[in-house]
Amino acid sequence: MAAAPTTVEGPARRSQPSGPQRILVYQTLLIVVLFALWEALVRTGVLPVYLYGQPSGILAKARQLLVEGDLITHVAATAFASIVGFLLGTALGSVAGLLMWLSKTAALVLRPVIVAINGVPKIALAPLIVVWVGVGLGAKVAIAASLTFIVALISVYQGTQEVDEDLVKLMRSLGAKPFTIWKKVIVPGATPWILSTMRLNIGFAMIGAVVGEYISSKMGLGYMIYNAGALYDLNSVFVGIFCLMALALVLDAVLGRIEERFRW
Amino acid sequence: MVNAPVLEAKHVSMAFEAGTPREVIAFRDISFTLRHGEILAIVGPSGCGKSTLFNVIAGLLRPTSGSVSVDGALVDGARGHIGYMLQKDLLLPWRSVLDNVTLGLEVRGTQPDQARERAMSLIRRYGLAGFEFARPRALSGGMRQRVAFMRTLALDPKAILLDEPFSALDFQTRLILQGDVKRIIREQQKSAILVTHDIGEAIAMSDRVLVLSQRPSTVKAIHDIELGDATDPGTLRRSPAFNEYFDTIWRQLDGHAQAAV
Repeated sequence: MAAAPTTVEGPARRSQPSGPQRILVYQTLLIVVLFALWEALVRTGVLPVYLYGQPSGILAKARQLLVEGDLITHVAATAFASIVGFLLGTALGSVAGLLMWLSKTAALVLRPVIVAINGVPKIALAPLIVVWVGVGLGAKVAIAASLTFIVALISVYQGTQEVDEDLVKLMRSLGAKPFTIWKKVIVPGATPWILSTMRLNIGFAMIGAVVGEYISSKMGLGYMIYNAGALYDLNSVFVGIFCLMALALVLDAVLGRIEERFRW
Repeated sequence: MVNAPVLEAKHVSMAFEAGTPREVIAFRDISFTLRHGEILAIVGPSGCGKSTLFNVIAGLLRPTSGSVSVDGALVDGARGHIGYMLQKDLLLPWRSVLDNVTLGLEVRGTQPDQARERAMSLIRRYGLAGFEFARPRALSGGMRQRVAFMRTLALDPKAILLDEPFSALDFQTRLILQGDVKRIIREQQKSAILVTHDIGEAIAMSDRVLVLSQRPSTVKAIHDIELGDATDPGTLRRSPAFNEYFDTIWRQLDGHAQAAV
């Protein structure tokens, strides 16, 4: 009887430090310490403010840009381009990757093409895209879409290849035609790969959108960061970077929710 | 025509890379029949090509020579009339138990309500009531194999092929399932072939045991098993006749095993 409470208590106590609240506390602490250190180093003159910015200055700048400037517009522009590019590229790439399962010949024929395109840094294609679709939103979306398309295509096709060959054999023994096998086994079987590609791709989509903004836009966080950098306005650069981080975290959290929904 | 063969294998041989210097003969000139309503076990030493033979019988592999026919029709490519169950349960993890059982009916184009009704009656009748809507990952290994067996039965196949279906299970579960599967095959008046390396399982479950020799395998012997109508594996294993069969078959396999060492 006496032993029972201790065995119950033991694991409970041990699990405490890794509880979600504890982690959150440590995370907050880490950020606070880093920013305090940064602020202190700039204030004591160890780091020059014109090269490194300053947390208090960044905060003030953010407030200013939010009230007087068009920070919200920039954030919205980048978010919109990222999301649209992400949806287009990921959807088309995933469907293409799934369809490639249906024809081994097509997959083999296309392989070197895909590898070659994948090997090219997509930024090198940006001037082409600008020529084709013009500057502005179109170019941003197109760059984001082309980046995510190729990632989705490759990893979702890989996903179709990872589906247990014995499940395919089972379906065949039940008399299923290739398209039925595709629909009932390959597509649902590759779903985890589609979901994990989505999380990867949201990052790529943001890279695409920001690159697009660097080279051919008058809007968005990429444009804002690029411009501020040229003017040595490092606080504005950091505001832009932190907005990008926040955006990435939000989009990733949304996708995490979706992924959880579809997991079996 | 109670004793008409459901499935007939005639002089089936299988060689890989036939006609080249690297030719490997898996088995040679294997003939047997599966009678209506019987369970035929095929045992053999490891590496004797049991799985290859299984694939040939299932119509998944074409033999180098000879033929396998079901109800007089060659199983060459025409699939669907043989149901099979493997060591891996191959349940689709994203489908519920019910939807896994209806899979074959779905592929075959059965009306969804009919498929559902048939699956439900099998599930409830054979010990899975209450788990109709559970996902496979929530089930134990034994229950998953039960679902796989229901999926096979749902199609009402002319012959059922069982390839080491219990070998991944723990001993107790294995014995229970052996008894249940045998009883269900009898109840549903099915004919089945059981490929296994487990001599006890072969004797406890089948009407006849076909013993294969070491590779290149041939049919070494066919034993009629007469242990009465009991399906309970415990009762069966206690009978003296069981031990005699076991001993005989063990010797037949053992001779080859030693020759191989």
